[in-house]
Amino acid sequence: MSADCMDLWAVVPEMIIAGLALVLVPVAGWVWGRWRRIPVFVSLAGLLAAAALTAPMLITTPQEAFCGTYAVDPFRAFYQLVIELGAAITILVLSSHFHNTQQEPHAPVAVLFATAGGMGLAAATDLALIVLFLQMASFPSYVLVALVRSDKRAQEAALKYFIYGAAALAVMAYGLTFLFGLTGSLNLRAIGAALAGADAAWVALALGLVLIGYGFEMTMVPFHLWAPDAFQGASAPVSGFVSVVPKIAAFGGLLRLLLEAMPNGISAWPLVLAIMAAISMTFGNLVALRQSSLKRLLAYSSIAQAGYVLMAVAVAERSPGALRAVGYYLLAYLFMNLAGFAVVAQIERTTGRDDFEAVRGLARHAPWSTAALTLALLSLAGIPPLAGFAGKVFLLTAAIDGGFTWLAVIAAINMAVALYYYALVIADMYFRESGPRQAVAHHKGYNWAVGLCTMGTVILGIVPGLGTRLAEIGASLLQ
Amino acid sequence: MLNVAIFLPLLTGFTVLALPRSRANLVRQVALAGGILTLIVAIILWVGFDPKGDALQWRTTVPWIPAIGASYDVAVTGLSLALIVLTAVLLTVVMLFVLPQRDRPHAHAFLFMLLATGLIGVFTAQDLLLFYLFFEVGLVPMYFIIGIWGGERRWYAALKFFLYTRAGSLAMLLGFLGLYLAMEPHSFSLPAIIAAKPLAQSPPLASSLVFFALLIGFGVKLPIVPLHNWLPDAHVEAPTEGSVVLAGLQLKMGGYGLIAVLLPALPDTVARFGWLLVALALLSLLYGALAALAQSDMKRLVAYTSVNHMAYVILGMAVAAMTGSITARQLALDGAAVQMVSHGLLTGGMFLMVGMLQHRTGTREIDRFGGLIGRAPAFAGLFGLLAFGSLGLPGLSGFIAEFQVIGATLQLSVWVAAITVLGLILATAVYLRLMGVLMGGATPEADKIAPLTPYEILPAGAVAVLSLLIGIFPAALIAIFVGAIRLGGP
Repeated sequence: MSADCMDLWAVVPEMIIAGLALVLVPVAGWVWGRWRRIPVFVSLAGLLAAAALTAPMLITTPQEAFCGTYAVDPFRAFYQLVIELGAAITILVLSSHFHNTQQEPHAPVAVLFATAGGMGLAAATDLALIVLFLQMASFPSYVLVALVRSDKRAQEAALKYFIYGAAALAVMAYGLTFLFGLTGSLNLRAIGAALAGADAAWVALALGLVLIGYGFEMTMVPFHLWAPDAFQGASAPVSGFVSVVPKIAAFGGLLRLLLEAMPNGISAWPLVLAIMAAISMTFGNLVALRQSSLKRLLAYSSIAQAGYVLMAVAVAERSPGALRAVGYYLLAYLFMNLAGFAVVAQIERTTGRDDFEAVRGLARHAPWSTAALTLALLSLAGIPPLAGFAGKVFLLTAAIDGGFTWLAVIAAINMAVALYYYALVIADMYFRESGPRQAVAHHKGYNWAVGLCTMGTVILGIVPGLGTRLAEIGASLLQ
Repeated sequence: MLNVAIFLPLLTGFTVLALPRSRANLVRQVALAGGILTLIVAIILWVGFDPKGDALQWRTTVPWIPAIGASYDVAVTGLSLALIVLTAVLLTVVMLFVLPQRDRPHAHAFLFMLLATGLIGVFTAQDLLLFYLFFEVGLVPMYFIIGIWGGERRWYAALKFFLYTRAGSLAMLLGFLGLYLAMEPHSFSLPAIIAAKPLAQSPPLASSLVFFALLIGFGVKLPIVPLHNWLPDAHVEAPTEGSVVLAGLQLKMGGYGLIAVLLPALPDTVARFGWLLVALALLSLLYGALAALAQSDMKRLVAYTSVNHMAYVILGMAVAAMTGSITARQLALDGAAVQMVSHGLLTGGMFLMVGMLQHRTGTREIDRFGGLIGRAPAFAGLFGLLAFGSLGLPGLSGFIAEFQVIGATLQLSVWVAAITVLGLILATAVYLRLMGVLMGGATPEADKIAPLTPYEILPAGAVAVLSLLIGIFPAALIAIFVGAIRLGGP
C-alpha cells in the first residue's frame, strides 16, 4: 500500500465521531453530578461538526478513496447525514430520559460508536470494511439495549439481540467469502465486473447469505425475530435509535452492494427482494394487529415499514425514481418513527409502562404529546399531508414503474390493514376517558426531539420537494 | 380567490385552536364567522364564473413536487363550483347548529374546518396527487368526529368508517399511479390526462385495472352497494352535525370523482363496463330503498335512502358513457350533478332535523313519535318539505335531478328506466311511511317536544329554502354545469 492511498480527508466526519467517542469513554466514567451532561453536549457538537463536513460531499463527483475501498459520493453523504441526524435526535431524547441517572453520560458514547459504524457502512466498498462496520454499528446497539443494568427485561433483550446479531453477521461474513472466492477481489466494483461469468448457483448462495446479515439489521422477515423483544425490553429512546440508525445504514449498505457488486439484477435479486418485501410488510402488519404494547407495536410496524422500503430497493436498477424514493422514505421514516418513540419515552418515564392502558385518555392530560404521537402514527400509516404519505407514493410509483404492479397492490392492501392498529392507539388516546393520572414527562430534550421530528414530518409532507431534491442528489453513487 | 376559499376554513381552524380554553362561546362564534366568510367567498366565485368561458376557471398552478411532476393545481368547473357552495352552505349550517353546544369546542371547530378544506380541495384539485391528498384530509377529521362525539358504538363505527374509506382511497391511489405512469411524460395533471386519455390505446387489462381501482375508490365513498357497509353505522353513530357533513358532503366526493375524474379520463372503459355500472346502480337503488323501508331508527332510515339517491349519480354516469346522443349525455350528467347538490341539501337537512328530535326525546325510533303536526308545526312543515323534496315531488329539487336521469336512461333502455321508476316508487313509500307516522296520532313522546329554537329553524330552514329554489329555478343551477359536461364529452 502506497502513501497515495491515505486519503484521510475522505473520512474526516467518521474520524470526528469515532475520535470523540474514544475520548468520551473515560470521561463518561469519571463525570459526576451535573457534569454528567458533558458527554451529551460534546457529542451533539461533534455530530453537528461531522454533519457540516459531510454536507459538502453532496456535491462532489463520485470518486474512490483509500485505494478503492471507500467511496466519496453524494449517496454516502446523504445516508451519513440522515444517520447523523438520527443520532442527534436520539441523544436529545436520551439526555432527558436518563436525566440525573447513572446512564446519562454513557448513552451518548454508545450512540456515537454505532453512528460511526453506520456511517462507515454507507461508504464502504470493500468486503472486509463492510463486515467491520456492520459489527461496529451493531455492538454499541447491544450495549445500548443493556444500558440499564437493573432492568432484567433489558438484559434479556440485549442477550437475544446479541445472539441473533452475532449469528447473522457471522453467516453474512461467510457469504461475503463466497463473493471473494468467486471473483478473487474484495472490491465491490471489481466483484461486479467479474461476477457476470461466475457460477449462478454460487452467486445465489452468496446473495442469500449476505441478505441474512442486512436483513437482520433492517428487520426483514424472517430475520426480524430479535426486534420485538429487543424493542420492548430496551428503554424507548434506545428502541427508537435501534429502529432507525442501523436500519438506515443497512439500507444504504445493501443498496451499494447490490448496485456495485451485483449489477444487472444478477441471480434475480430484484425478484427475491420483492418477495421479501411482500413477506415483511404482510407479516409485520398482521402481527402488529394483535399487540398491546406500544413498543412491540412500533417494532412490528417498523418491520412492515422496512418491507415498504425494500419494495423500492428491489427496483433500484429498473426504476429511475427508486433511489430517490428510498432516500426520501428513510428520511421521513426517521422523523416519524423517532417522534413516535420519543413520545412513548415520555409516557414510559412517568408511568413506567408502554401498554395501551398507559395512553388511555391521554389527549386530555397531554394534548401536545398526544397530537405529536397521533401525527407520527398517521404519517406511518401514510395519511396525507404528512411525510409518510408522500414517501409511500414514491415507493409505490417506483414499484409499478419497475414492473412490480402486484407488489404495489400488496403494499396498498397492507397500508389499509396497517391503519387499523395505528387507529386503535389514536382511539385510545382520544376517544376514551381515564381516571386521574399524571401527564407525560416534560423535559427540554424530549420537547426538542418531539418538536423537531413533528416539524420534519409535517414540513416534508407539505413540501416534499425539500426531501426529494436532497434524496435525488443522494441518488448518485460510485459505479 | 379560489385559494382563499380552500384555505379560509383551515385558517379559521388554526385561529380557533389559538383561542384560550375558557372562551367556548368565542370559539363557536369565530367558527361560525369562518363558515359565513367561506360562503361569501364561494358566492363571489360563483358570480365571477362565466358559464360560457373556459372549462376551468379561477385556476392557480404552482409546482409542488417537481421530482415527480405533481403540482398544486386548482381550478373550478361548474360542477365543482356548485359543490363548493354546497360545502360552504352546510359548513355554515353546521356551525350555526352547534353554536349553543359546549363540549370540546376547539377540537370540534378545528376538525370541521379541516374537513371543509379537504372537501373544497377535492372539488377543485386538477392534479391527481393533490386530489388524493385533499380526499384523505377530508377523511381523517371525520374519524375523530365520530369517535369523540358519536353515539354508543362510536368506536366501532369510527374505525369501520376509517378502514373502509382508507381501503377505497388506497385503491384509488393505485389507479391514479396507473394513469400517472401511462402518461408520457409522467404527469398527474388531470386536464392533461383527460386530453390525452393515456390508457385508450393500451391493452384492455391495464385500463380495466385502473377502472376498477378508481371505481372501488369512489364507490366506497358514494357508496355503491357491495361497498356500502360502513355507511349505516357511520351515519347512525356520528353526532348530528357529523351525519350532516358525512351524508351531505362526503358522499359527494365519490360522486364528484366518478363524474369529474373516472368518466372523462377513461370514457371508453366506462362505456365498456357500462352495463355493469347500470346493474350496480339498479342494485343500489333498490337495495337502498328496501333497506330503508325496513328500518325503525330514523337516522338509519335516512342513511339507507342516501344509498338509493346516490345510485342516480352512477346511473347517470353509466348512461352518459354509453349513450350516443349528446342531449341524453347532457341530461344524464346534469341530472347526476343536480342530484348531488339536491341530496346534499335535503339529506343534510333531514339528519339535522332527526338530530333535533333525538335531542329532545333521546330516541330516534320512528314508532315513538306521532302528532308532530300539532305539537311542533314548524318542525313538521320543514321536515315535510325536506321529505317531499327527497321523494321527488315535482317542483322540488329531488324531482329535477331524478327526472333528468330517468329521462336520459329512457334513451338507453326502457327496462332500465322502468326499474329505476320502481326504485323511485319504493323510495316514495319510505318517506310517506315516515311522514305518516310522524304526523299521525300523538304519542307520549311527542308531548316532550318543545318548539324549535332559532338556532334550529335557521339552518334547517335555509337548506329547505335552497332546495325549494333549485326546484323552482333549476336552470340557474344547471346553467353552470356546461363546463362539467364539456369535460365529460368524448
